[in-house]
Amino acid sequence: MNSIKVKNLQKTFQTKRKAAGLGGSVRSLFKPEYSSVEAVNNLSFEMEAGELLGFIGPNGAGKSTTIKMLTGILHPSGGEASVLGFTPWVDRQKLAFQIGTVFGQRPQLWYHLPAIDTFTLFGKIYELDDRETKKRIDFLAEAFEMKDLLEVPVRKLSLGQRMRCEVAASLLHRPKLILLDEPSIGLDVVAKQNIRDAIRRMNQEEGVGVLLTSHDAGDLEALCKRVIIVNHGQIVYEDKVSNLKRKFLTTKLVEVRYAEGVAKDFSIDGVEILKVGHYGVKLKFDAAKTSVESVLAHISAAGDIVDITISDPPLEEVIAKIYEQAKEYE
Amino acid sequence: MKTFSKYWSIFQITLINSLAYPGELVGRSLMIIPFMWIFYQLWKVTFSAAGADVVSGLTLRDTLWYLMLAETIELGRPPVARTMSESVKDGSIAYILNKPYDFLWYQFSTAMGETIFRAMLNAIFGGLTVWLLVGAPAHPEGFLIAIPAVLGAWALHFCINAMIGLSAFAVEDVSAFTWIYQKLAFIFGGLLIPLDFYPQWLQVIAKALPFASAIYGPARLFVTPSLELFISVMSLQLAWIIVLSLTLALVYRSGIKQLTVNGG
Repeated sequence: MNSIKVKNLQKTFQTKRKAAGLGGSVRSLFKPEYSSVEAVNNLSFEMEAGELLGFIGPNGAGKSTTIKMLTGILHPSGGEASVLGFTPWVDRQKLAFQIGTVFGQRPQLWYHLPAIDTFTLFGKIYELDDRETKKRIDFLAEAFEMKDLLEVPVRKLSLGQRMRCEVAASLLHRPKLILLDEPSIGLDVVAKQNIRDAIRRMNQEEGVGVLLTSHDAGDLEALCKRVIIVNHGQIVYEDKVSNLKRKFLTTKLVEVRYAEGVAKDFSIDGVEILKVGHYGVKLKFDAAKTSVESVLAHISAAGDIVDITISDPPLEEVIAKIYEQAKEYE
Repeated sequence: MKTFSKYWSIFQITLINSLAYPGELVGRSLMIIPFMWIFYQLWKVTFSAAGADVVSGLTLRDTLWYLMLAETIELGRPPVARTMSESVKDGSIAYILNKPYDFLWYQFSTAMGETIFRAMLNAIFGGLTVWLLVGAPAHPEGFLIAIPAVLGAWALHFCINAMIGLSAFAVEDVSAFTWIYQKLAFIFGGLLIPLDFYPQWLQVIAKALPFASAIYGPARLFVTPSLELFISVMSLQLAWIIVLSLTLALVYRSGIKQLTVNGG
């Protein structure tokens, strides 16, 4: 069953243009000029119930605008969308009972009050009875390791602690779907890991679907099964994360250390030699064109190997490559 | 019932939140003390120049107590239009709109939550100052009678300010409109001068406008309470609340389609 179905979704913003300086400002007062920006352009995709879907793209790609339309905050300029059977901008309030949202850059917890106050308020807003709210808070406090944080004013929490509370707050009413817009922005490695673990747990235990936008390829790798990459409001890539890796992570980096010195003219056909040192070499090759086996055979024929490391390029590089390809295509 | 308890909880949390910085809350409310002292000096001179104890049905003492309540209403009400405009500008409106409640009732509940303590402190400091300057109010029971009208006044202020705030959906910055509104409320609401002291023709105009129901009506009811005045103030106020809240709901329905949420 689909939890999200989007067809030809469109959002155009009118942006006022103004030439630089005082003259430009005065002219724009009398003769304002507007230009249209296609924030979301003919977007179509589907998301299964309980799926972990990554929705990524560079700044200004239309990710947040899409999320805001899917939560009913923005009205689209065209197209259709159905979220859990509701048209978001028509049934915003009904839909709100079924979904949770976290906008990483905009806190929803009351800043001066302890998080427990916001949780209790959300219990009322989502029309849970008091006993149910309390039980749910206890459960989330354990799942998100935030028992000791609940009674501290939010302003005194670290960013990582606060984000844990933010995500937990969005799950209070047992939503079927949560939309996370940059939940890991600005977090350190440990805090990111904690958030990812908690999200994964909620997905597995409660079957809550997760639509996640992020700049961080690590979020995608750690959490998502499928990814949609958008740029300029359009989908430029859509596939399973494992396929993304298989298709694009074909470049291998190899570092070898030998027991004896290496010949200065060390070379292998179809392999780019990045560095040749006294005892080691660093090389790069495309596994789709040159077989791993033949490269390894050449490496071992060159001398006694002390150490060898084979690594994939980071996913971020792959995504950057996809953006580049999309740009060339335009 | 659950719907009511939702807005009641929003009201409560805002009320608690307004106590986050008690020093700031008290400090801001102290402003009413110099205001009342200046009013006292001005009106003392005016009454002695007029050579009368009663002008247009009000004594110096009535005038000062009138101004105390008028100022309490004005200084107590939160900057609804500015808050709404800020939430559009910085994008935080996204969080207000994605919860299962009515946007306008949410805004009203938070506005009232922000108002109560601020207004109470203004009434205490302003009341003590006026008491020291001119003595107790002539009709202390007027304070209780005026309370429903004061609450109605805030509802009326809310309707107008929320409409100004909603214009932020289209223009983002609303400070010019709030400035105009404030000045109109000063003049036609009787915030600096009770409307009774205006020339007859201006009184007729001012009393026909909603500003009078938002300031003059409750303040006048406080100093000269009567059942007749209570009924006339409350019915006019109620009529304005109905008209303006319906207009507000219409403006909201069309405005929400124009909304552009800033930020990533």
